[in-house]
Amino acid sequence: MKIILKIFISIFLISAFACIKEKKYQYDVNPVSVGQQGGEKNNRKSTTEFISIAYADLFGTNIPQSKLVNLSVAYSSFGDLKVIEERIIKNFLNDSNVVVPPLPSINGDTALFIVNSYKKFYNREPNEFEKHYWKEFIRTHFTITPATIYYAMMTSDEYRFY
Amino acid sequence: MKRRDFLKKTAFATAGAFVAPYILPSGRLFAATGARRVNHVVFCLYAGGVRNLESVHMNDGNLMTNILSGNFPVSSDIAGAMESLPSSPLSQPLQTFGTLFKEFRYYNGPTGHYNGHTVALTGNYVEVDLNIREHPRNPTVFEYYRKHNSPQQSAMNCWWVANTLGPYPALNYSQSGDYGPAYGANFISPTSLISPQVYDVLGNPRLFPSAEEAAVSNIQEFVNGIFNHSYTDGSAGVVNTASDSALLQQFITELYTKAQNTSFLNSWGAGTAMNNDMYNILFANEIIKTFKPELLVVNMQDVDICHFKYTEYANNLRKADYAVAQLWNTIQQTPGMANDTVLIVAPEHGRNFYANTSVDVYGRRALDHTAPTDPNFNGDPNLQIAREIFCLVVGPSNVVVQGQVINTIMGESTEIVPAIANMLGFDNAIPGGKIKDWTSCQLKAAFL
Repeated sequence: MKIILKIFISIFLISAFACIKEKKYQYDVNPVSVGQQGGEKNNRKSTTEFISIAYADLFGTNIPQSKLVNLSVAYSSFGDLKVIEERIIKNFLNDSNVVVPPLPSINGDTALFIVNSYKKFYNREPNEFEKHYWKEFIRTHFTITPATIYYAMMTSDEYRFY
Repeated sequence: MKRRDFLKKTAFATAGAFVAPYILPSGRLFAATGARRVNHVVFCLYAGGVRNLESVHMNDGNLMTNILSGNFPVSSDIAGAMESLPSSPLSQPLQTFGTLFKEFRYYNGPTGHYNGHTVALTGNYVEVDLNIREHPRNPTVFEYYRKHNSPQQSAMNCWWVANTLGPYPALNYSQSGDYGPAYGANFISPTSLISPQVYDVLGNPRLFPSAEEAAVSNIQEFVNGIFNHSYTDGSAGVVNTASDSALLQQFITELYTKAQNTSFLNSWGAGTAMNNDMYNILFANEIIKTFKPELLVVNMQDVDICHFKYTEYANNLRKADYAVAQLWNTIQQTPGMANDTVLIVAPEHGRNFYANTSVDVYGRRALDHTAPTDPNFNGDPNLQIAREIFCLVVGPSNVVVQGQVINTIMGESTEIVPAIANMLGFDNAIPGGKIKDWTSCQLKAAFL
């Protein structure tokens, strides 16, 4: 009888512990959306917006109404708007009142200059790839001026969108 | 080689020989189809509303002595108001170098300036619903030229020079899906761009050394490569290549420099008689000399003063006439364009037979331009006069019939685009139905 009881107990124990389902652990990461830098900018600035924002970015103040009118006429007077916009920015950069950082700001803390420029013109910070590019670019173009970098960024595609 | 392979290769080689463009001794590439008659066409819209009564019919004397033959003195009551102009730069009146259609017609649609310009540049009449805030619905002659030439032409070869802004900048390309800004003309309104007002904001650009310019290109290539939109996808208007843009910047700078020089502004010796029309042609001449465009359209509109002052209208007709003579003179003095250019001159529409209520100091009554769209002219044939215009075609004697005057009703505004297309050898490449078939155009009578 004892033997039978032992057999029952053994069967019970085996069936109770031997067939425990193995726990499954699933490892995952939180969803991350991947996009291009500035990819959320889908709206092109109007001519008035472009002029006003560019002026504010370079002079730190609102564009005077008379200058806005003159620039609007300039815009309408030529068919290739890119040609006119490049000329507008070059004229802004040649104005004695323009606010452009001095040369040491590039050669001193290059990374800070680039981050500030991206925030100013593109409303975002540069990613690591962009930081690397700029660091290398400025290292190999050590005579480049802040005005040149400002001009290049302000005549780029991203600056024309928001 | 297998027989099938041999036949296939032979067929490809034969087809290639037909498709490949021919290289002429001049070095220019021509498509196998569409022989050119000339390599340059200039179309001058003698616009603003010119009535045949004052132009070719000379009711107040010959007000266009540079263009039209005839020694008919200006009517004595307004003669004193005519400003002094230099003598003609041409050896003979312009009409002797080509064919004058005295009874050309603007048959349909409203007789408005923008309507008339649109018809002249698209080769299609427009209705009353024309939106002056939009590009034309039908392709312009510029787009046909750039799209259907082989090889395709850049905007540097193709210019629209307007005397004013308003809706006119929109005429350099259409909203037609198959055409649009990618095939548009370089537009310029010189008297606006090269004005003290615009000089204030564009005249003093920062100059970057060439090394800095190269750095700018590198930076832009990088930042534009990362960004996922392009500004030059149509929203920036007509787009020129980087090298052409540099030429355009240089050209604008040169114009600003010249405009500060009184000897340039008075290079015709016309002094205070220079008006907006004349300056527009003066600057168009600079485009001709600098770029030698294959297609250039330029307009004038100062005669529209006629809404209020008839006598000034007559005076401005003379100034426009003088400007056209200077235009032709420049063409003939420009190597590459001389003897290889056809010039077409036509108003966009005429003016009314009946005067309005304005009377000028000479007692002359002013004229509007409001032809009814009713084909019966509201029962009054005099109302059709605003649709009566002239057209002058001049060019090399082996292309244009010289000294010919056509007094009967022949030709219409929609035939100018087909004529330009035929002259530049791309009329057959334009899809059927887009414009009037050249073979049915009466303007053909001007050409050999």
